Amino acid sequence: MIPEITELSLPALICAVAALYSCIRIVLEKNTLRKLPFLNVLTFAVTGIIVLICPTPLGIAAACAYFIGSTLESNAIASTWAKRAEKEKKDAQEKADGEAAQ
Amino acid sequence: MLTEIAQIIIAFAVSFILYVTIDVLAGLPKEGGVCGAAAIGEAVEKSGGDIHGGYMLGNIVCSPDASAGTLLAACGVCLFGLWGGLIAAVFVYIGNRICSDKGYAGTAGALVATLVIWGLANAGLIAPQSFIAGMVLAILVIQGISHKYASRLLGKLWRLRA
Repeated sequence: MIPEITELSLPALICAVAALYSCIRIVLEKNTLRKLPFLNVLTFAVTGIIVLICPTPLGIAAACAYFIGSTLESNAIASTWAKRAEKEKKDAQEKADGEAAQ
Repeated sequence: MLTEIAQIIIAFAVSFILYVTIDVLAGLPKEGGVCGAAAIGEAVEKSGGDIHGGYMLGNIVCSPDASAGTLLAACGVCLFGLWGGLIAAVFVYIGNRICSDKGYAGTAGALVATLVIWGLANAGLIAPQSFIAGMVLAILVIQGISHKYASRLLGKLWRLRA
């Protein structure tokens, strides 16, 4: 059975539109590191929606936990990506040096 | 009480000015706090943006800063009034420490935003729910429209401060 949508407030609607828009931008963006700011907008919008549709004492804890958790994930993705790119650069440099020595 | 659309527009302006001012004063555009934030800054610079603005975009992504503080303070005030905002500030501080950040910008942002949002809600001008939508729009303008122009704007503000 599909639950009936009783009332959608304007702030929740704005958050939902912002979330959908940032999803589309994430899909269209090619560069992984530049996807992350759009992902941040999505996180903000979803945090807002959690509080607006779940205004209970646990709502604030859920919103904060979701927000901090996804920030930590973005931090980890960006750091890993940066370190990997640095390592690839170093390996390519070493390879080039080795070929030059031969 | 103003109409809901007018409230959201004013909330957008207030939260935008609030978090950009606190972030720039706290020196977020100076350098990437973690290596991921620096990499995002360099990626934004490669696409034609400003390096300092790019660092600030990276720092906002990688750690809860004043923008996160403003959003969570709005959520807290919406649910529990002044105490909710203070609880949100504690959560933001914990988040900052988890993300290996000092946490001044995020916690200061949450505390200032709590006072502003609670004051405006108590004065009967703007409902805290409007601040949630306003803050989502404010972060959308900086992070979600064009990284090139947003980073140039933030770079200009940083040079004004430096």
